[in-house]
Amino acid sequence: MAHEHNHDEHDHDGHEHGSGHEDSHAAPDPLVVRTQALEALLMEKGLIDPAAIDALIDQYEHHIGPRIGARVVVRAWTDLDFRELLLRDANTALAQAGVGRLQGEDMIVLENTPTVHNVVVCTLCSCYPWPVLGLPPPWYKAMPYRSRIVREPRVVLREFGLEVSDDIEVRVWDSNAELRYMVLPMRPAESHGLGAEDLAHWVTRDSMIGVGVARAPIGAES
Amino acid sequence: MLTPDRVPEIIRDGFSLKLDEIVASKFVVGQEIITKNIHPAGHTRLPLYARSKRGTIMMHHGVFPFPDSSAAGAGPNPQNVYCVRFSAPEIWGDNTHPLDAIYLDLWDDYLLSLKELPR
Amino acid sequence: MNGAHDCGGMHGFGPIDRCHEDEIFHAAWEQRVFGLLWAVGAHGFWNIDEIRQAMEGMHPNHYLSIPYFEHWLSAMERLLVEKEVVTTAELAAARTRVTQEVHHVDA
Repeated sequence: MAHEHNHDEHDHDGHEHGSGHEDSHAAPDPLVVRTQALEALLMEKGLIDPAAIDALIDQYEHHIGPRIGARVVVRAWTDLDFRELLLRDANTALAQAGVGRLQGEDMIVLENTPTVHNVVVCTLCSCYPWPVLGLPPPWYKAMPYRSRIVREPRVVLREFGLEVSDDIEVRVWDSNAELRYMVLPMRPAESHGLGAEDLAHWVTRDSMIGVGVARAPIGAES
Repeated sequence: MLTPDRVPEIIRDGFSLKLDEIVASKFVVGQEIITKNIHPAGHTRLPLYARSKRGTIMMHHGVFPFPDSSAAGAGPNPQNVYCVRFSAPEIWGDNTHPLDAIYLDLWDDYLLSLKELPR
Repeated sequence: MNGAHDCGGMHGFGPIDRCHEDEIFHAAWEQRVFGLLWAVGAHGFWNIDEIRQAMEGMHPNHYLSIPYFEHWLSAMERLLVEKEVVTTAELAAARTRVTQEVHHVDA
């Protein structure tokens, strides 16, 4: 889709994907220096173990992501008792499903229906349900989404390729407290007959934020 | 100090801020409220767009520390948190879809019952 | 506080930028800031509300112009100094050392 690259968030010359390449003749990126300095200082003071930082990064880069939420959605699509529990008491349902709790200690799952479409934001910062979706995509944390989704949700959803008809109610959930929200997208009719493994590929991260809907995997053979 | 062996446990257990204490609720599910017209200089979680707006309590989430107090180092000041629904026209006026709504989680101290309306 | 962060309904920010949307980190420094937040946070020097307040309190021009993870980095630096865990002199000295020893540039 056509869009303009927003440079406001990366306003450092030559910085965009900087850091790994320390050219000894160029001034190092101040953000790199500040970060390295802070870590070194705290390590000297015996306050941090860099290996713990490595472990955290590894978990969120490689293990905790939307595939977890997708499994939960598929289970809700195929097990009505689980679905009912998930909507009534998400914490209990997610614990049963083996989902962790960091930044999702108090969860609410929002059901999309033929008359209600839910979408989640944190206008004030970037609160996001990490245990089921991993860390948020850059656009979720940036000012365009945060400022506009509460004011003109249908226009923003259209930018994401989602058209919401006039007879549907759009609910925008601003995660301003410690509750974390995840959308339970509707199951597409075309997905009936698929097994759980295949179904999981129909559940996108965007559908669990509410800026998309569940759909057939791109490029998949039916 | 956080060590690598403790990382799986903190990811699994998290750090819930929800409190076991019972604090008398000022409001009930279904009640219509109006948010206060407050403009604190310090931290608050009542967004600018939702001040002096009428809404309906949809859920009662339980008791949590009050951010305005805890950010100021004034202790948790535990309060009830409610999910409140605001119609889009109530927040934004005209040029909004009449069916749409915004939901916010708000603490006792952000809310007034309609009987307490100023003026 | 009515800071730049409280942006619900603000106009003018333009289209959603979906560049690199599957990268949760764009650079190694961002990864380290993320990890540091939790590693340092484990000590309980601050609560979540204090660190949000530290981010929100920066000048609006600054808040709006820096990359996301710099909000957290700045908030941590500020709180660590306020809580007297580190001093600004120690931070400055550490930056000088890193510039010279890691980046081989005379600071």
